[in-house]
Amino acid sequence: MLFKRKKPEHFFITIMLAPMMVVLISFYLYPTFYNLYNSFTDLSLLGLKQGGEYIGFDNYLRLFHDEGFGHLIWNTFFWLTFVSVSLRIVLGVLLALLLNSETLKKFKLTGITRLSLLVPWATPAIVAVIAWRFMLDPREGIVNQILLSIGMVDKPIAFLAKLHTVWPVVIIIIIWNSLPLVIMSYLAALQSISKTLYEAAEIDGANEIQKFFHITLPQLMPTTIVLSLMLVVWTFNNFVYVWLTTAAGPGNYTNVLATEVFIRGFVDFELGYSSAIGMLMAVLMALFGMFYYRYLAKKEFSEIM
Amino acid sequence: MEIIHKKKTLTITIKDIVILTITGIVMIFMLYPAYWVFYGSFKKSGSLFSSERFGFTFDNYIKLFEAGFGNYILNSLFICLLAVLISTFIAVMTAYIFSRKKFRGKKWIMGTVLAGQMFPWIILITPLFIVFASLGLMNSYTGMIFIYTAISMPFSIYLLLGYLHSIPTELDEAATLDGCSPFQVLWKIIYPLMRPGIVATATYSFILCWSDYLFALAFLTKTSVKTLPLGLSLQFGEYGADWGAVMAASTVTTLPVLLLFLPIQSKMASGLTAGSVKG
Repeated sequence: MLFKRKKPEHFFITIMLAPMMVVLISFYLYPTFYNLYNSFTDLSLLGLKQGGEYIGFDNYLRLFHDEGFGHLIWNTFFWLTFVSVSLRIVLGVLLALLLNSETLKKFKLTGITRLSLLVPWATPAIVAVIAWRFMLDPREGIVNQILLSIGMVDKPIAFLAKLHTVWPVVIIIIIWNSLPLVIMSYLAALQSISKTLYEAAEIDGANEIQKFFHITLPQLMPTTIVLSLMLVVWTFNNFVYVWLTTAAGPGNYTNVLATEVFIRGFVDFELGYSSAIGMLMAVLMALFGMFYYRYLAKKEFSEIM
Repeated sequence: MEIIHKKKTLTITIKDIVILTITGIVMIFMLYPAYWVFYGSFKKSGSLFSSERFGFTFDNYIKLFEAGFGNYILNSLFICLLAVLISTFIAVMTAYIFSRKKFRGKKWIMGTVLAGQMFPWIILITPLFIVFASLGLMNSYTGMIFIYTAISMPFSIYLLLGYLHSIPTELDEAATLDGCSPFQVLWKIIYPLMRPGIVATATYSFILCWSDYLFALAFLTKTSVKTLPLGLSLQFGEYGADWGAVMAASTVTTLPVLLLFLPIQSKMASGLTAGSVKG
């Protein structure tokens, strides 16, 4: 009886999931295992036909002993991921509060300000990079012209060639391009906070600052947890911002894991070594995701899982 | 009466001025780079950086399209539209099953699909490069459509799960009792209710594919099949590039996304963190 009732249901589920499984296996699982296998070989782009020879953990040992490895990890974790994500979260909360403020409602500016956020958000990363590179151009860029005209500098700054300005520039481009998404998410969250919470707090005599720290911030916590996870993953894995802005330069000063995978594989042709770096990235993200989900985000994803 | 009247008069406080000033600065930061690109695309060649008087011209666009830029647009449109169609179709089926049905191993399959979002796409490049080279899929529309379907699928499923969650399961049950088959429940009951979510999801996927640079860079080397971001980077990469043309190309690349974004912007933001925003 039970079997008979269940059979058409199982058939339905199998049919419906089959296309997804095909994509999942051929574009995620198979390439990952293939990549893992390649990472134990000395496969080269020039010798694709012959294939690589098994060399054990040599690629990994070489990577960990590479003198640039520490620099690479620092760039990826600190500059690319930590600085840019925490700035976006902090600025996102503050600007969402700003755009949600009574003042903007009073002057009927909420609509237009939210619409303006669409512009950087809709701009493809490559266009964002082009726009900023032109604005920061040492000879003709508007930023240098302004700095010169107000006398803040004597001669133009080559922002992308100077070590102390190159990371901030990359981060500004990332922030410009993706901060609107963060602001919009926080705006949606702000609007779902119940007014009665604030009314109750006012009756208890809470001031604005107390209301922010005891009501707004805790109520935004679930959004912060989900957003931080997404931003960390997207940024850590991102290749285009660094590649198009600096091409990992000057020298390899702004090199990150994602650009290193590309450079080793498609500039130096060492596909085996490049695969090992890629595997390191995948393992780091998997560990991060597992711990994050387990200790922070379980409740946030409970609805869909 | 008097109270109502009072509310209508605008009183400007110091706080208002501070808030308006900060808002102004933020808006300049957000809009100026895009404005500058747009403005530059209509400026006469050679006058972009100079303080010469602004001369309005369509020359940049004309030159761009004469050089065959239209071809990149068509390539991008064709590849992205087909990929979005396929990936959204797959995502709707998958999300429906994930949100409504129980089966063995569901947790594992779902976990793997959603983990696809955490995936460093760059590690797909080498394995797919080797596979594509042996299957003759390099420089092909088919290969790119497959890849864009694959990379947009996990996030589409995630977004659709959020939307499906807001549709009560009682509807499915009632329809099943009335004698609908599982396919009919999805097609006749759930699909119409999901449509706004599907539109938002498809738009998101389209933008993702439209903006992709990494996969296009790795798998498209022939000019005839290149997509917009690659075409744009060609203009940009050349030494002594024609800035006017670059600005025009940038504008052409951005405008479709901007227009697509307008109707779905509010839905996108709340959909992204759907699980966390409990209304």
